[in-house]
Amino acid sequence: MKYIYSILILSVFLFTSCNQTKSNEKSEEKKIKVGVTMLSMQNEFIVNISDEMNKKAEELGVELITVDAEHQPLKQIEQVESFIAQKVDVIIMNPCEVEASSPAVTKALAAKIPIINVNSATSTKPTAFVGSNDVESGRIAMKFIADKLGGKGNIVMIHGFMGQAAQIQREQGAKEILKEFPNLKLIAHQTGEWDRAKSMDLMQNWIQSYGKDINAVFAQNDEMGLGALKALQDTGLKDKVIVVSIDAIADALQAVKKGTLDATVFQNAKQQGAGAIEVAVKIATGQSYEKEVMIPFMLVTKENIGRFLK
Amino acid sequence: MQYINRLRQYGIFVVFIIICLILSLISPQFLTVSNWTIIITQASINALLAFGVTFVIITGGIDLSLGSMVAVTGVTAAMLAHPDTFPVALPIFAGLLAGLLMGVFNGFIITKSKIAPFIVTLGTMTIGRGLALILSKGRPISNLSDSFNFIGGGNIFGIPFPIIVLILVFIICSIILKKTLLGRYIYAIGGNEQASRASGINVNRVKMAVYSISGLLAGLAGILLTSRITTGQPNAGAGFELDAIAAAVIGGTSTSGGTGTMTGTLIGVLLIGVINNGLDLLNVTSYYQQVVMGTIIIGAVVLDSWNQKNN
Repeated sequence: MKYIYSILILSVFLFTSCNQTKSNEKSEEKKIKVGVTMLSMQNEFIVNISDEMNKKAEELGVELITVDAEHQPLKQIEQVESFIAQKVDVIIMNPCEVEASSPAVTKALAAKIPIINVNSATSTKPTAFVGSNDVESGRIAMKFIADKLGGKGNIVMIHGFMGQAAQIQREQGAKEILKEFPNLKLIAHQTGEWDRAKSMDLMQNWIQSYGKDINAVFAQNDEMGLGALKALQDTGLKDKVIVVSIDAIADALQAVKKGTLDATVFQNAKQQGAGAIEVAVKIATGQSYEKEVMIPFMLVTKENIGRFLK
Repeated sequence: MQYINRLRQYGIFVVFIIICLILSLISPQFLTVSNWTIIITQASINALLAFGVTFVIITGGIDLSLGSMVAVTGVTAAMLAHPDTFPVALPIFAGLLAGLLMGVFNGFIITKSKIAPFIVTLGTMTIGRGLALILSKGRPISNLSDSFNFIGGGNIFGIPFPIIVLILVFIICSIILKKTLLGRYIYAIGGNEQASRASGINVNRVKMAVYSISGLLAGLAGILLTSRITTGQPNAGAGFELDAIAAAVIGGTSTSGGTGTMTGTLIGVLLIGVINNGLDLLNVTSYYQQVVMGTIIIGAVVLDSWNQKNN
């Protein structure tokens, strides 16, 4: 019995000492430390970007400190200030707001800490930007509708929260296409506050007032698109109405596969998250890097759905 | 004089009728069976929350955790409502239980600590939101069973199931408030807590009961919402408590306690529903919708205080 114990103790000792040498080796390299502040960890897409960052960081041996700004620009600025105080090597910010989050960029640059904006922009130019242009997503979605309707028909649009960057840009993109097709009429538009239940109610009400006049629905995100879709399905109108939304969340991909949602626009969380970490490492290690990494949107329809389903 | 008094008493009902008349004149679609089916279905979730909070407000309390309870119970139910795992009774039971437990927790802290209900439920509102995010890992839970989705989306004899739930709950709540001893105690405590205590009413037990009912109904609302949109969402229900409180207040429930009826709350709920629906039908911008809604809430309270002065 005593032998077994001593072997056990010895092996535990060996195992722990092994581990120690390993961690010693790593700390000699000095891990790159990156402070990350995210718009909101209650948003599925943002959580996806954050998850991709964590994966990439683990792969490259980068230490991440991730915090949640909970949609509050002021909180985000304070978080960046605390990153500056902690002397992180690089800051990655997923801005809450174009203007209100800008002071955070100014502060980081003044403290000579590189700052990367991921997913959306601030008016003050950061060290680097990794993300997509939301205007393009609106354009892609509306172009699909225009093509499907042969450039003629009545459209309703469901906005996100009015005044947010994504809402403004997606609307802008959609309106650019509408201008090109004078026979496409926007007969109603209203906010669904990015919310499925709200948009379902809204669509039900629109069906009451416009009924069979509606040819297509453009929802500025998938949650709202799926809400509108449910309302149309419940009233048996879905076959006559095209529904398109943006983000390509899991539910939306399933709906496209089933053929209920006509199309969604894929925003690449993986490339945005991983790209931000890659740029951060390049900056920290003094390699050359691109100042603006633009990740294109992609239209997802039944034809190419296979590429997007895991 | 008696006529005027009566008119005041039913003031909000008169306002409701007038608004309906105006809307039916401007919008030909407003006064149709299909549109009213939609209005009542859409209002059903707010109605359940408003009935619950009416009990609470009559005792002189408030419940701000309603929206978060909707999220927690919705997510809880959704987690158990995947197809081919459990019978549909389990997610329903678990959702209701989650709501009940949160309600009991509210009641327990409020009665034991003597902290104002406003503060306690503000705390549980935040705790609840966090719990919903923890349970769901921040992501919506989809792919629910058909039998579960029937609760919010199905029809019985052509009547949407949420409307049937609404009617049943309304009847039960009205009976509790009007015909039972508990109902009488609820009014008594709201009227004068000290006097009620002196006359031998177990004030704490009554308070426990109202917050538990409020939680239970929030659980039912959470299940209904989840099943209606066929997904359990951790962000669901944000701000629902304010709509529910507004409905109760519009319906004549006094925030200082002691007065209020379920019928009044039902009219408040329908008024909010009718305005939302009508403004959508007329394609009024959402900015104006909010202004209109706020004006009506204040108008209702002014009407209410005017009534009280005159009585």
